[in-house]
Amino acid sequence: MEEEPIEEPNTRIPKRPFWSGTVTIGLVNVPVKLYTMTYDKAFSFRFLHKQDGQPLKYQRVCTKDNAVVPWEDTVKGYEVSKNRFIVFEKKELDAARPPSSEKIRIDKFVDYLSIDPIYFERSYVLTPDKSNEAYSLLLTSLLKTHKAGVGRITMRTKEYPLLLHAYKGGLVLTTLRYADEISDPDNFEELKRLKEPEKKELDLAVKIINDLSGEFDIKEYEDTYEENIRKLIAKKLKGETIIAEKPVKEEAKELMTALQETLSQLKKQ
Amino acid sequence: MWLEKLTKVDFTNLDKVLYPEEKITKAQVIQHYVRMAPKMLSILKDRPTVLTRFPNGIDKEGFYEKDMPMGTPPWVKTFRKYSETAERTINYVVCNDLDTLVWLANLAALELHMTLSKIDEFEKPDLLVFDVDPEPPASTDDVVDVALMLKEKLDGLDLRSYAKTSGKRGLHILVPLVRKYTFSQTREYVHQIGTYLARESPIVVSEFSRIKKPGTVYIDYLQNSHGRTMVCPYSLRATPRATVSYPLDWRDVKKGLKPEEFTLSSVAKSESNPWKGMLDDKQKLEKSVD
Repeated sequence: MEEEPIEEPNTRIPKRPFWSGTVTIGLVNVPVKLYTMTYDKAFSFRFLHKQDGQPLKYQRVCTKDNAVVPWEDTVKGYEVSKNRFIVFEKKELDAARPPSSEKIRIDKFVDYLSIDPIYFERSYVLTPDKSNEAYSLLLTSLLKTHKAGVGRITMRTKEYPLLLHAYKGGLVLTTLRYADEISDPDNFEELKRLKEPEKKELDLAVKIINDLSGEFDIKEYEDTYEENIRKLIAKKLKGETIIAEKPVKEEAKELMTALQETLSQLKKQ
Repeated sequence: MWLEKLTKVDFTNLDKVLYPEEKITKAQVIQHYVRMAPKMLSILKDRPTVLTRFPNGIDKEGFYEKDMPMGTPPWVKTFRKYSETAERTINYVVCNDLDTLVWLANLAALELHMTLSKIDEFEKPDLLVFDVDPEPPASTDDVVDVALMLKEKLDGLDLRSYAKTSGKRGLHILVPLVRKYTFSQTREYVHQIGTYLARESPIVVSEFSRIKKPGTVYIDYLQNSHGRTMVCPYSLRATPRATVSYPLDWRDVKKGLKPEEFTLSSVAKSESNPWKGMLDDKQKLEKSVD
């Protein structure tokens, strides 16, 4: 088994843009490509059958009679109350989606630091598409003004509010959560009855904060669990790993023969 | 031998029935494309491909897909081009190897349609096509008549032509070209020949019209346009009997020809290659039509 190098996320460049289109500010258009810039580094494991080490698969099982249900026999249901569903056809759901568009529309500019990170969802890097003059102008003017554009984008048929800002020499687009996707802390009863602190205590707390103040550096934090698992994988690779065998079905056997024949024919060409 | 060593494609739902009437499964569809690959790939090479997909079989809704599908693996070649008809940039799939062809088949892309030009000179077609299509009650025999008239005319212009079934009721007649003409030139040339034949025969229609006159045979010249596609030779069609768009020897283009007999199962064992050398037979449009 070949050992695959585990890439460092911050050096990774995706092969293809995730989206391409134009940033539209009034009458000005800036053609851009959008690339994924954040990654979830967590290891993912698969469940195996303990006895023979073969991977397990999930099946959709009817809660009433335990029969296995194929995909084509499924529909989506919205649970209105316990065990009462409204059924939706795929067509109905598709019709409700907004049409996708190739525009990032900027409505206004705000002070970047005035936005609470609570709203931030996912960030993407923008790179210039075709001309880089318009891109450079937008980037430089955002840096100069310390502002960020607020607007909207439709990606994969969902519309998101967004923030367009400068980050390390590039334009970054961050999708935002909608207001009703965030629950306000003041909904919590406990927070409504907070006591005012005494002045002496407050002075001490402020002093501690000031003593511990410094520059923010994310590199001071490491995922030790991830690091340990990585070491374990390296160790286990030297020992025994269980290789999953794919059961070759009857249909696939003929396919294999056909593939072998064609591959040898193509080699001759 | 492991399947993984033969292809990069991870097959899914191989036993799914895609042609219910003939009980043809996805495994059989993939096998068809694997068998046709040696002849098909040389024609598909460097051409943007448009897919017609039927993930739940031909009885269920299918869809036309110009853009590369979601989850296209990085090893698949693609071609980015602004489409004037769609008014947006399209990332076309370019099927240059067996893995890509097999991957498309696994996506239930039953029909593969290709452009008449290649990505390196997209504005200069290397194929010219006459799409000959009957309007009932015109029969296949009527199509054959028109195709033979067309061949005679092309012979007179010193042009060697190649015929295939469309996989439905019509025939496609192709002339491979030196890449020096624009689409408007090839379109005009095909149109002129169509107009000439329409003068010779009362059943030939050479002008596009939304309402087709019953009993006529239409020679479509508009397919010779930027970004337009033609069903690829050896491609399956989404018809109940799993018909195939299949190359013909001109000697077999005669009364009694039955295009519906070229099906997934009937072409499987066919060794013949009536189009041998077609792609190298690059010709110039030197003689004027009239």
